[in-house]
Amino acid sequence: MARLKDKTARMPLGNKVVMFFSKPANVILVVFFVLLCMLTLYPLLTLVSETFTVHAGREATATKQARGSFTLYSFKKLLFTLDDGGSEGFKESTSWIQFYSPLLNTMAVSITSSVIAIIFGGCVAWLVTRSNIKFKKFISTVFVFPYIMPSWTLAMFWSNFFKNVNVGPGTSNGILASVFGIMMPEWFVYGFFPISMVLGLHYAPFAYILIGGILRNMDANLEEAATILKTTRARIVSRITLPIVMPALLSTLLLVFASTMSAYAVPVFLGSPVRYYVLSTKMMSLMNTYKGQGYIIASVMIIFGVAILAINQWFTGKRKSFTTVTGKSSQISLVNLKKASWPIAVLLVIILVLLAILPLVSFALESVIIKAGDYSIENMTLDFWIGRNLSYLDQGDANGILLSPKILKALGYSLLLAVSCSVIAGTCGVLAGYGIVKRRGSFLSTAVNNLSFFPYLLPSLAFGAIYLALSTKVSFITGMFALILVGSVKYLPFASRSGISAMLQLSNEIEEAAVIVSVPWWKRMVRVIFPIQKSSFLSGYLLPFVSCMRELSLFVLLVPTSDTILTTMLMQYSEKGWDQFGNAINLLIIVVVLIINFTVNKLTGASIDKGIGG
Amino acid sequence: MPQIVLRNITKRFTKFVAVDNLDLTINDGEFITLLGPSGCGKTTTLRMIAGLETPTEGEILIDSQVVFSATKGINVPPNKRDVGFLFQNYALWPHMTVYQNIAFGLENLKWSKSDIASRVAELLALLKIEQFSKRYPSELSGGQQQRVAIARTLAPKPKVLFLDEPLSNLDAKLRLEMRTELKRLHLDTKSTFVYVTHDQLEAMTMSTRVCLMKNGLLQQYDPPLTVYNRPINLFVADFVGNPTMNFISAKATGKGSSILLEAESFKASMTTSQAPELKDAEVVIGIRPEYVCISDEPTGKAHAVIYSNMPSGMETTIRLQLGKTMLTSVIFRGVDYPVDKKVGFSFIGSDILLFDKKSERMIASGSLQLI
Repeated sequence: MARLKDKTARMPLGNKVVMFFSKPANVILVVFFVLLCMLTLYPLLTLVSETFTVHAGREATATKQARGSFTLYSFKKLLFTLDDGGSEGFKESTSWIQFYSPLLNTMAVSITSSVIAIIFGGCVAWLVTRSNIKFKKFISTVFVFPYIMPSWTLAMFWSNFFKNVNVGPGTSNGILASVFGIMMPEWFVYGFFPISMVLGLHYAPFAYILIGGILRNMDANLEEAATILKTTRARIVSRITLPIVMPALLSTLLLVFASTMSAYAVPVFLGSPVRYYVLSTKMMSLMNTYKGQGYIIASVMIIFGVAILAINQWFTGKRKSFTTVTGKSSQISLVNLKKASWPIAVLLVIILVLLAILPLVSFALESVIIKAGDYSIENMTLDFWIGRNLSYLDQGDANGILLSPKILKALGYSLLLAVSCSVIAGTCGVLAGYGIVKRRGSFLSTAVNNLSFFPYLLPSLAFGAIYLALSTKVSFITGMFALILVGSVKYLPFASRSGISAMLQLSNEIEEAAVIVSVPWWKRMVRVIFPIQKSSFLSGYLLPFVSCMRELSLFVLLVPTSDTILTTMLMQYSEKGWDQFGNAINLLIIVVVLIINFTVNKLTGASIDKGIGG
Repeated sequence: MPQIVLRNITKRFTKFVAVDNLDLTINDGEFITLLGPSGCGKTTTLRMIAGLETPTEGEILIDSQVVFSATKGINVPPNKRDVGFLFQNYALWPHMTVYQNIAFGLENLKWSKSDIASRVAELLALLKIEQFSKRYPSELSGGQQQRVAIARTLAPKPKVLFLDEPLSNLDAKLRLEMRTELKRLHLDTKSTFVYVTHDQLEAMTMSTRVCLMKNGLLQQYDPPLTVYNRPINLFVADFVGNPTMNFISAKATGKGSSILLEAESFKASMTTSQAPELKDAEVVIGIRPEYVCISDEPTGKAHAVIYSNMPSGMETTIRLQLGKTMLTSVIFRGVDYPVDKKVGFSFIGSDILLFDKKSERMIASGSLQLI
């Protein structure tokens, strides 16, 4: 009897496998697990092995070893050359200049800028969600502008505005110096202060979106309960609101920290002219000479990223944790700012105009003046935009950017890249979200969930470096294919987050109702699930598109030539000092991104903040 | 001692009127229930009295002090109104232990440490949650969280206590238990309770007076049994009571103490003390299920067929079919009538009601004999 029971109870292994793979969610998870291991973990190992490898060029000369052989040279040179015999000892050593000093700078910049971003973004988020401030619509729309724009936009604006002949390379005067005659000191124009400010302001909208989402979901009853118990306004904020949003605030801080740490374009614009280096800019310059050392810096940045994830996990796992600040409160009573309402609103609007609108005006201006620093009407021309066969432009191109075949080709490639990445990452995000939510709690689901978020924590530049290392081993990862691959993997986290949150809102019965009437899986996805959560899913497509369009650091190591896409081309132009074309290209990128963002938003309701905020 | 007075309170949101011209007086020590279907404005009313919501028009007085007046521009903030509020989802602060949650309000009142400790201990004992004082809310069950929320609300000894559907998140058994305890708590604390619910059973069993609302309009404000036996209109009659009242359309003729009623499937005469003059008037007869009596043998006057029979042990709910009309009857014992059996029926008691069909208002009450 017992034997018989055994036989019927145990399913043969073959049947088990068939059962397992008959569920689409399982197939998706297995495929994603394998793919993500190949696309994130394997490249990571490649990167690590590259740090122990001798590369062609100076490394081979220095080590007197053959290319590709094992060496500890890079580690010794970068981390342990503490005294080169210079008069100041450690302060002049290779390790200090190449590694420890950039590391300290990175820390200082990242911490300062994430604090700025959190405080500024958090305050605006509180004002918009919890108070009766004026111009709410305008503020919430314009405040996300800086995040949609490329990260160097503000940096470029900063230098356009404040640069003068007394500081840094000092080639020409900016708007402030030439129009008002005010010469700002060097610390204000280049180095730590402007980099931290610009990064802080750039990521403030990101913090705003995340914190605003938390505040919107936080039950207003929690605050009202304190009000009833005679708590003062200040005490409610300090004892109730802040502690409750603190874990979420902390993970926002960590995410912003991770992003600012890997920022590349901003330190290039505002640091390099005065030889102020951070890890990302140092790594980039090492990539041309000592690849091994560059890969070590990339590894260090990745270690920071992983450490941040670990801290975040540990923090949210604590006993006091209360990540479930969900539960929509229908009746939110807004804090009455009374007389302060107008001044605060006006101040905010002014700041926003400075941050989001004035840069655009400045780019337009800089792109039409012939001689730098002269803002009179006689000195203006549209030749840099629509000129044809004009040798005096003298900036590598005789045509204005809208007529230059080179630039139009780059624009085409940029669009192709952004569309490909958004289609691939977006679709994968929907599928991953489906698989992860359907099999919630299982090992595979957790693994795929973490793996799909992992690329988020890898600094863009380091991620580019990984794939560069990989391209030496896997020959077909080159050219456009490499760019599309790296972009899709890097932006998968955005898409999978919005995919997961969209699927979580969808009750199981909705799909089961279709299963009962035997609708095939693909049809359930296309006809039932996708249409219901259309705007959430589309946000998962929009975010990779926007990010790709304005991305520089991810692609800069992998582009075949710097003419390939707009952002790298822009970088090249501004390095060569071709300001008019640089500003014009920058404006072109921003306008394309803004137009597409708002068109998609108006047509489908998808939006950037939905993608991140969930 | 606090008395709460609402005068012409109106709350308009951009698209609709949540509360429309409400007048209400709540006396000291009462247990008032604001009852009504969801969206009828009861929670909004409660929140306006507490100060969490600002009325568009009208005046609110607590303890003869004006706390809100639209014309005089007075709006006392909630923390100055000396009230307690129990939220539907408890709103326990997730980052504080049970002890800290209860003590927080007392700290705001600048109580001394020892006073706070003894008051919290007293409440923990009163609500039987001593063993949880060091736990966080997420580590408690729904019923335990509910008790903590009550303790937190009671801690500063508020004179007036507002409760917003506090039992709706509990399971049926706990709800029954908490109902008893809340009623007991009302007696022990001697505070005024204002209680919002959509559950007519809670309103019936706990309150001293029920305030029934519909679409922002006050329908009836009376003790529960008055609301049950003498509902002012068809809506009230239908909303209160389970199973619901039987409504039968009829034509009425008569005046004084006797009215002749002609329904589709029976004729009857109603004996009443006060009745308006009626001539072929369209009316609705309202009969509570417990006043429909079934006899095994069909008599000559009227008979019906058993449509369905649902014995629950203690009582039996029976649906009777009379032609096209359905009648619900409740008998206080377990009986199992075979379906489709022919039976006789009659109406007992003197609480049979008559409503005007057009205005829906009650016009008479009395006893009903089949003829």
